Amino acid sequence: MLAVVGHVARKETRQILRDRRSLLLILVMPIVLTFLFGKALETGELRQIPSVILNQDGSPESNVIVTAFSTYDEVQLQGEVATLQEAQDLLAQGKIKAAIVIPRGFMRQIEAGEEAQLQLLLDGTDNNSAPIVEGVARRVIQRYNTERAIKGLWARGVRPDRGRRLIQPVFVHREIRYNPGLQYLSYVMPGVIGLTLQLLTVMLMAVTIPRERERGTLDQLMATPITRTELILGKLLPYFGISLLNVATILFVADRWFNVPVVERLPLLLALCALFVLSSLATGLLISTVSRSQFQAVQIAVFYILPVFMLSGAYAPIEAIPDYIRPISSLFPLMYFSRAVRAVTLRGAGLSLVWKDLVILGGFVLILLYWAVLSFRKRVA
Amino acid sequence: MSLAIETANLTRRFGAVTAVAGLNLSVRTGEIFGFLGPNGAGKTTTIRMLCGLLLPSEGTARVAGLDVRRDAEAVKRCVGYMPQRFSLYGDLTAEENLDFFAGVYRLSGQERRRRASETLARVGLADRRRELTEHLSGGLKQRLALACALVHSPSILFLDEPTAGADPPSRQRIWDLLYEAAAEGRTILVTTHYVEEAERCQTIGFMHRGRFIGLGSPEQCKAEMGEALLEVDALPVMQAAAVARRLDGVTGVSIYGHTLRVFAKTTTHLRHHLQEVLVAQGVAVKSIRAVAPTLEDVFMSLTRGAQDTNGTG
Repeated sequence: MLAVVGHVARKETRQILRDRRSLLLILVMPIVLTFLFGKALETGELRQIPSVILNQDGSPESNVIVTAFSTYDEVQLQGEVATLQEAQDLLAQGKIKAAIVIPRGFMRQIEAGEEAQLQLLLDGTDNNSAPIVEGVARRVIQRYNTERAIKGLWARGVRPDRGRRLIQPVFVHREIRYNPGLQYLSYVMPGVIGLTLQLLTVMLMAVTIPRERERGTLDQLMATPITRTELILGKLLPYFGISLLNVATILFVADRWFNVPVVERLPLLLALCALFVLSSLATGLLISTVSRSQFQAVQIAVFYILPVFMLSGAYAPIEAIPDYIRPISSLFPLMYFSRAVRAVTLRGAGLSLVWKDLVILGGFVLILLYWAVLSFRKRVA
Repeated sequence: MSLAIETANLTRRFGAVTAVAGLNLSVRTGEIFGFLGPNGAGKTTTIRMLCGLLLPSEGTARVAGLDVRRDAEAVKRCVGYMPQRFSLYGDLTAEENLDFFAGVYRLSGQERRRRASETLARVGLADRRRELTEHLSGGLKQRLALACALVHSPSILFLDEPTAGADPPSRQRIWDLLYEAAAEGRTILVTTHYVEEAERCQTIGFMHRGRFIGLGSPEQCKAEMGEALLEVDALPVMQAAAVARRLDGVTGVSIYGHTLRVFAKTTTHLRHHLQEVLVAQGVAVKSIRAVAPTLEDVFMSLTRGAQDTNGTG
């Protein structure tokens, strides 16, 4: 049996090496994809949200507020507008995401002890920017309120340091243990690695048997006493080799340009990648055995890859997915891979913490391969 | 007399279509059996069932003493198959293709390499062994496919139109190889559209709509043709054919160059009658004589007969 597996593997390797253009694509595409995905997500944190100020009050107090806004990075003040209509137009045209309105009588109301308002006009289309501008506004106003209260107390004879403690008796102290920069990129890189590896392996593998079917070579092959297991394993091996090359280049890119601590955790990361790649190749083989044509294989592969992308927690926490959908997520090897690689690269987890995910990935490999063997028909019933 | 292939009521349906309808076939060990018939007659389907590639819907088939239903994989070990469509790897060289298939047939190490190079030399491809298969000409591809079917020394060869589209020298070359294989005791089942190839077979089976409508040696087939035959040398030949076709008792007319071949149930009175009518119509008749049928005549007669039966029944 092993000899025949070897013959199939050697034949496949020859064919892969002879198709230079595909080979180049296979070797270069993962590097480019990892780099592009990574770079696209690196600047994923929102800064400089375009905004305008409508200062209807024009008082010293309202000027303090305007100045306070300009000290925050998140908001980029494009200048002042004269009317509410002007602000609304800019918002409608999508030129700004927020208008900060200080209504007429702002200072007079404060001085008179009445409730004064700072108004925000927000574009809710982009659900990320609106809360950020609102957060900035809350911080500006909180600081303004505190400073005013301290001044008020001082006027009544309370010293500023004592006054501050009266107004704000409790502070929050935080200590971030993992990913101290709170960088989304660090969170998402394991998912990017998984997605890139999966895309390539599933696609490559899915078309192999339909290609033989279309070229007619499967006919000749099925007339020989080759067993299904020999054929499946023989096809798997060379692609596993290529995939390991891809793992190496992707991990290099992740380490070199995206601060993923690969070198420090190399053996564990390699083990996770190898098992994950095997499970993806087996998925591709399964698709391959049930597809009648290469076109159909690609279709099925796309219909597999897209839901996995959305549901596996590769780029957003799995906890963000509703409870009743999460069981579906657990059917995808990518979920365990992302989870484990995240634990290893962000929390420095060792084998004792990720062995379960390794076992699960291994289980996927065995089940999917067995399934692929069973679903391959050597003859038409 | 030992049988290499034996089927009883072998049937294969694809949905509503019956491709092979209760075929009873016996092929003796070491003989060359020719499978004839128009496209869609069920020849390829039969071969695919005998190779263990396709499950029969009904009936039984034994190949090399093995049941194709139960022992398909064992059957595959002792038969060689050359599909109708070229089915080797175009991006591998001739040698690599042969080496691969020898390996898949479980020939090991030394034996595999020896058989591969021997078989390549045998089909005359030794000096082309390093060329990519897709760059070989049609005739060479067919010889390489034959080599692949032979590389594991099978006792039975199934060849589905091994010479389709080949020029006469290439066809001669392939048939020389088939005789050589038969001389080694291999049984050969070969499909063809060429009459002169059918003449080379020991037994021919003429298939039509999934069953045999003629079976036997070429001589038997000719002797048992159910119709008599007149060869008419007349001018103008087209007009003569039109006249002959209208005549009572004539079942078919074929034109070959400037002669007609007229089929009839019996020719005893027809000969004179035909002469008279032709002359009356202004056709210059050079000669009319009863002749022995060729295999091609037999095929024409059989096909016409089968179509008539299908038409009325």
